[in-house]
Amino acid sequence: MSWLDFPTYLLMTSVFWLVALVLMLSPPKSVFHSIKTLFLMLGWAVLITFTISLWVSLERPPFRTLAETRLWYGVFISTIGIVLYYRWRLPLMLAYTLLMALLFLFLNFLNPDTFDKSLMPALQSPWFVPHVVVYIIGYAFLGFSSLIAMVGLLRYYRGKDVTQKLLMADNIVYIGFAFLTYGLLFGALWAKEAWGHYWTWDPKETWAFLTWLAYLLYIHYRLRKRHSEASALWIVALAFVVLMICWFGINYLPSASSSVHTYST
Amino acid sequence: MGFFLLLAGFMVEIIGSGSVRMPAWPMNLFIIIIIVAYFFLVHYFFRNPFVKWLSSVPAAIASISFFTLMVMLMGFIQQGSAYASDTWYGQLGLTRITSGWPYLFTAVYLLVVLGFTIVRRIRVFTLNNIAFLLNHAGLWVIVVAASLGSADMWRLSMQLNKRHPETTAYDGNRQAYDVGIGMLLLDFSIEEYPPEIGLMRNEDFTLRLEKGGRLAIVEEGGHDALENFALHFTDYIGNARYYDGAYDSSDMDGGARAVYVYATDMFSGDTLSGWVSDGSHEVPPSILKLNQELSLAMVRMKPKKYSSSIRVFTSVEEYRDIYIEVNKPAAIDGWKIYQVGYDERLGRWSQTSTIEMVRDPWLPVVYTGIFMMLLGSLYLLWMGKGRTKTKSS
Repeated sequence: MSWLDFPTYLLMTSVFWLVALVLMLSPPKSVFHSIKTLFLMLGWAVLITFTISLWVSLERPPFRTLAETRLWYGVFISTIGIVLYYRWRLPLMLAYTLLMALLFLFLNFLNPDTFDKSLMPALQSPWFVPHVVVYIIGYAFLGFSSLIAMVGLLRYYRGKDVTQKLLMADNIVYIGFAFLTYGLLFGALWAKEAWGHYWTWDPKETWAFLTWLAYLLYIHYRLRKRHSEASALWIVALAFVVLMICWFGINYLPSASSSVHTYST
Repeated sequence: MGFFLLLAGFMVEIIGSGSVRMPAWPMNLFIIIIIVAYFFLVHYFFRNPFVKWLSSVPAAIASISFFTLMVMLMGFIQQGSAYASDTWYGQLGLTRITSGWPYLFTAVYLLVVLGFTIVRRIRVFTLNNIAFLLNHAGLWVIVVAASLGSADMWRLSMQLNKRHPETTAYDGNRQAYDVGIGMLLLDFSIEEYPPEIGLMRNEDFTLRLEKGGRLAIVEEGGHDALENFALHFTDYIGNARYYDGAYDSSDMDGGARAVYVYATDMFSGDTLSGWVSDGSHEVPPSILKLNQELSLAMVRMKPKKYSSSIRVFTSVEEYRDIYIEVNKPAAIDGWKIYQVGYDERLGRWSQTSTIEMVRDPWLPVVYTGIFMMLLGSLYLLWMGKGRTKTKSS
């Protein structure tokens, strides 16, 4: 299994999920509506099958390149969407997360990875998998919160109530923020073992810290008694832009050309 | 408040009192004791509206915002002494933000707000409040110990060889230090990934890897295909010498990796054959030209693992042998020894090994802060925002 097989799997997942989304439009009590679960799970299973077999065939954890992290993002955000759908019945959010996952997977289709088994010595550490996994899960939650913020902003400018949206964003941001904190702290503990220092202001570290600060700002802004709901929604929406710069925008920043976090070949 | 501090920071920067230098032991400990005492004293005996404001949510938002602004400048402007110190932003100290005054002032602002907030909440022992304290005090401890402890930290690099024990190490400014221990390289070894061959464009010598392209892994007797070329590897030599147009195996150090390849164009049926090698410092490389556009080339060796065995002399008679590799440092005599690099020109035949020696007495304090935050974040993860959760309609 390699990235060469990816288009087939992507096509299968896309078809299953799109069918599931169409079936969801049918009346809630109908048979069509209930068999959507089958298609949801089939799409998810295909994606997981690809991910696991890629891991097996690479003979190293697939967390190194951008395409690999995008694959995991697709896995985690769709999982979160599906779990939250069955927990709280959020059909719109399920649709958003599935489409978001497909978007990121489609980016992999446009920019496929080189099949590369090698893993440089600096990455060969028990910290490698937890460090990246907590970040990607954090990104998935925070991506979810920015979707909520965008829906909230739409409602806000149409003069509708957004209290419920903000409360939902709050909880998702707290969870995502906890994962970000774990990513940063695991990174610091690992860096001490690998590079001799827990914090070196490497451009990727700086941007990860900025992402953390942006969500920290949101959390504190929401604690303020008098605050504008629109500003709160904008902070969550824009914090995700900072996150995106940290994740891949950084590759295009001249200030980050010296980063030690550039692991693509 | 924040504007004033930023302005003051940039003023000091322009007037030019140089970079901020952190005080070393024991001065830094005194400063920490004084700061902590100050927080408690002011909180219990001199509370005025301003001090009260410093532990408020608006103060937190303001101080986080100004600090974020400084970090954001750091994210956009390339940092390091080598970058444009004569430009206007270099003059303002923006190419070395963390050792500049505006950063120091915004960081102190943040730490003061954080400090008063912690002191105000310290007496209430509910689960929610304990998590609050773990997160806030953890962050405070990390930042204070990391910055005030930085002057006590030593990071030196040393290049080891197999001929004599090395005693001189260098800091980031190439200043030499006698570290009082001698280190002799007993053995340096590299484990490498299997050799790989790829299609290279003749015009600019770059590998053709876009659109899901891949490399072929070389195995003696193995078959593979790249695009429309079927490949057959008949001979592989791990340590080869070049003689009279061909590669031959050698017992001496310094050889290259070489493979004899048959490449068949599956469209035309034509077969070409020849040696492909990545060369070494003593042996020339070879490529196999397939057509006007493409050649077969071996990719540079990728290290899987590299390690050093080192004899560390703590006095003339006493020594201890240690083994280090990347991600696996060793501790000796208060130092931590890290594998950093080797002579890349010689690759696997390197006769030297570069190590880094680190001494960081404040590390346990920083780790205490890190574990406090790890615990505190667990609560965030579990509870979400908890308190303001309402029943969804």
